[in-house]
Amino acid sequence: MNEFTWTNFAKIASSTLSQMLGTATPVALAALGGLMTEHAGIMNIGMDGMILMGAFVAAAVSYYLASAALGILAAMVFGIVIGLFFALFTVKLRSDEFIIGCALNTFAMGITAYLSRSLFGSDGIRGAAYLHNIHIPLIKDIPFLDNVISGHSLFVYLTWVLVILMWLFVYRTPTGFWIRASGESPETLRTAGKDPEKMKWVASILCGVFCGLAGAHLSLGKLNGTFVEGMSDSRGYIAFACVIFGAAHPGKVYLAALMFGFFSALGLQLQGIISSDLTEAIPYVITIIMMVYVVVSGQRRREHLAKQQLKKLELK
Amino acid sequence: MKKIIALLLVLVLTLGCFAACKKGDSDKTVVTIVVAGQFGDRSFYDQSKLGGERLAKDFADQVEVKYIECNNEGWTMQMKNAADKSNIVICVGYEFEEIEKVAPDYPDVNFIWIDNATYEPIKNLLNITYAQNEGSFLAGYIAAAMSKTGTVGAVGGADDITINDFIVGYKQGAEYYDPSIKVEINYANSWDDPAKGKDCANVLHDRGADVIFQVASKAGDGVFEAAQEGGFYAIGVDSDQKYINDDVIICSMQKEVGKSIYDAVKKLLSGDKSQLGTTWVADMSNGYIGIGYGEAGAKQQIPDDIKAKVDELAAKIASGEIKVNTTR
Repeated sequence: MNEFTWTNFAKIASSTLSQMLGTATPVALAALGGLMTEHAGIMNIGMDGMILMGAFVAAAVSYYLASAALGILAAMVFGIVIGLFFALFTVKLRSDEFIIGCALNTFAMGITAYLSRSLFGSDGIRGAAYLHNIHIPLIKDIPFLDNVISGHSLFVYLTWVLVILMWLFVYRTPTGFWIRASGESPETLRTAGKDPEKMKWVASILCGVFCGLAGAHLSLGKLNGTFVEGMSDSRGYIAFACVIFGAAHPGKVYLAALMFGFFSALGLQLQGIISSDLTEAIPYVITIIMMVYVVVSGQRRREHLAKQQLKKLELK
Repeated sequence: MKKIIALLLVLVLTLGCFAACKKGDSDKTVVTIVVAGQFGDRSFYDQSKLGGERLAKDFADQVEVKYIECNNEGWTMQMKNAADKSNIVICVGYEFEEIEKVAPDYPDVNFIWIDNATYEPIKNLLNITYAQNEGSFLAGYIAAAMSKTGTVGAVGGADDITINDFIVGYKQGAEYYDPSIKVEINYANSWDDPAKGKDCANVLHDRGADVIFQVASKAGDGVFEAAQEGGFYAIGVDSDQKYINDDVIICSMQKEVGKSIYDAVKKLLSGDKSQLGTTWVADMSNGYIGIGYGEAGAKQQIPDDIKAKVDELAAKIASGEIKVNTTR
């Protein structure tokens, strides 16, 4: 390890934070989709497969048409198809969400491996058109921030916008309200004259689109137009965990993804000191601790509320 | 009536299965290559496939080559499946530890285990291990010679004995060139996540490493990309990976898995079974380990005098004059 100096520390800190953003983004994008289905009352563990297929479609289309933008567009369109497919089984045919999610993940592994091999040989895709990293004009000149914020792919910045849009959509538009109602109290929604199933379809499709974006980011944003089999590497499950402990609130979900990104980046930095097997576990241990915290604090809050209600009654 | 038809259909299907299960053409030797992971890593597993393809081509009238990919699970089961239907089973990957129990159950089948060795010799099993530490020594030497910052790096796929065998050799080679050199190591803990490999390489680059050796299968693709973006050099592994990106990949540590499989099977086919029951170390002295500089016409970054020095060192390693550290 290097000797400790402030310049060194600043360098390591900025590279950790920059990696945090990079690692968090695919997870955050998928989680933004996952929170829609969560609000609609569908337990979606199929996100990993959706990401993998998105990554493949984006890379393949971008390879053939030599355009990253078309690749991303194709991943989004394909996301719609997968969303429809997922909703067909979970909403229309009322199958078990868990089983369908698992099936989707396994299916994605198989179909992407098959297509990638039959179209591109066993090498996978490499050298598709990709998104170049962006250096933001003003921030580029500020020493520390330049390393952290500047020089990422477009998706990192796009995610910030999407988090805000998502928050507006979920909490400030009628459709968002209906989607939440379709999960919390479908009967009430039906009484109000809206079809909860339709809302679930919408949520599922949105989830597919966001997971497609997450996949496109992985293959065309983070990597330079590369697809290899199994490259989603369980990010979908992490996204699901982020949805749960961000309580399906877009801002909190994004923070959760950032936290995951931070600890994986920190793990890479710590490898010089601690065994890599342990550093690899850090993000997951933190996830469990946070999960417990969220559950316990939620319970406390409810208890507190209940006690206050009781007190009010007693006073009367 | 419907039930009878259904039953008949089931019967036909089951029989069809059995029909398909017969042991291939009886006069041909069936060679099955079972890989622990997946093809498509452009190095270790793909090398073994190349060996199989060469066999199928050169001995077309004698052998039939089949491939099984385990996708990192069910190694024992796949090994047994292969043994049921073939004469020679080649298990590619250090993960097939259960071969110690499986091989004695199939006395008529010849096994070859690539990249690891059983504790006790088994009479129908040939172990082939590779002196990757010797090749990595040269890779380390080259890395140190090409580095301007005095720091070189290596990204491993996992912190295990085989990968660390590369790493210790690499370290020793780098220190052989310059005892004061710093060698930074990171493990991706994944074999198929290039994004993770890229992060690992970037972390090493931030610590000053300007030549990075990848030993991480498909995750190593990310190392090459990081090198391209960050403007530093990378070293490939197992097969000659220069073709992937000859701007940044200055050379590759070659482990001739395909050639060793080809040669071992060729020997078995000729009726020479003396190798069974032994462990064969494919190393620098018998030419299965070395440094590859890409095909003719590829861009070269390493100056000729370093290449000459590397050849000299290779001769010293082959003769035993330089002893390379190992984790085995």
